[in-house]
Amino acid sequence: MTQAKKSTLPSGITEAEAIDRAKRGDAGSFEILYGLHKRRVYSLCLRMTGNTAEAEDLTQEAFLQLYRKIATFRGESAFSTWLHRMAVNVVLMRLRKKGLPEVSLEETLEPQQEDGPKKDFGAPDYALVGSIDRVNLGRAIESLPPGYRIIFVLHDIEGYEHNEIAEMLGCSIGNSKSQLHKARMKLRDLLKTSRAEKAIKR
Amino acid sequence: MTCAEFQKVLPYIIETGGSADQEKHLRECHVCSDLVQDLRYIAEQAKLLVPMEEPSPQVWVGIRASLEREGLVQKPARARGGLLGPQGALLWVTAAAAVVLVIVGITLYQRGPEPPAAAQRAAARPSDNSATDDDPQDKQVLTQVAQARPEMKDVYERNLKQVNASIKDSRKALASDPSDEDARTGLLHAYEQKAMVYDMATRSLR
Repeated sequence: MTQAKKSTLPSGITEAEAIDRAKRGDAGSFEILYGLHKRRVYSLCLRMTGNTAEAEDLTQEAFLQLYRKIATFRGESAFSTWLHRMAVNVVLMRLRKKGLPEVSLEETLEPQQEDGPKKDFGAPDYALVGSIDRVNLGRAIESLPPGYRIIFVLHDIEGYEHNEIAEMLGCSIGNSKSQLHKARMKLRDLLKTSRAEKAIKR
Repeated sequence: MTCAEFQKVLPYIIETGGSADQEKHLRECHVCSDLVQDLRYIAEQAKLLVPMEEPSPQVWVGIRASLEREGLVQKPARARGGLLGPQGALLWVTAAAAVVLVIVGITLYQRGPEPPAAAQRAAARPSDNSATDDDPQDKQVLTQVAQARPEMKDVYERNLKQVNASIKDSRKALASDPSDEDARTGLLHAYEQKAMVYDMATRSLR
């Protein structure tokens, strides 16, 4: 596993040095670490909650937890990985407190999906490959139901494995895979609809 | 194998691969192969999503305040070189305000029916709104004060609102009557006061 970055930052110190100084309570180094990682943490919180105020609150909480525990960081894993995992836990704890469905674990497929693939008679159904722009993908992700969105963000964006997600969310690996599949299917529908609407407007 | 049978197991085999029958179906069925291709493509594109959003500056203000309250940080040392860090930023802001003031002061006292274009442009900076919401320099000053001296933030905010209101009134008067000497003098004094507020804010950080 990689350790804290060794390249020198614009401030003139490396990330590893900033971490060391932050452990000793240096405010400037805290700010450097915040500046380095705020976007990724905030994006994670925003994608998982879909709410900017909530995401800012969670970002603040994640960094506060980081600073409280920074003395325990030993460098066995990458600092960003450690921080990221902390942020995910902060978000999930908040979701549990609110009682929001982290995952719609018992949600069943909609009837038409259970019957097999939709077949568009008459109109060709072109594959999505090569036609997704990331702005539309981002929008589509935002419009996913919360349970689907969380799994999709954790697996496909943040790179967690199903066994890790299952442990985090208290579900089975099979459920994690099933929910991810539903999330991707939903996104596929949203992106195809969006593409079709754009084609009509031309 | 039917499409329905294949798609029922798809969530569990899409990443690891399926049985011989399942793979055969995938090779022979364009509907299912298109579906798998789309789903994999969505997953690949998601990995490339770059974090674009940034939290508001208030998030760091809140973190910083909590860290100081909990005693996790020491008061910041003076920034290196005097031009970096919070005090350095305010020095630049104060210097910028002084430059604006000089430009306005010189041009305001030029006789003429209308303020020269330079004065109008200079007078457009900083914002003349009574609130500080639209002036990035005001916001920066207040953010720095809030970080270092939170108990003084309200005071500076009030002062800036008052001086911005004076600037706004003087500009309005000058716009309706460019030869109004009292309005010119008032505007110059208002900018002087604003520079003083910035200067006091800078000193309070030391």
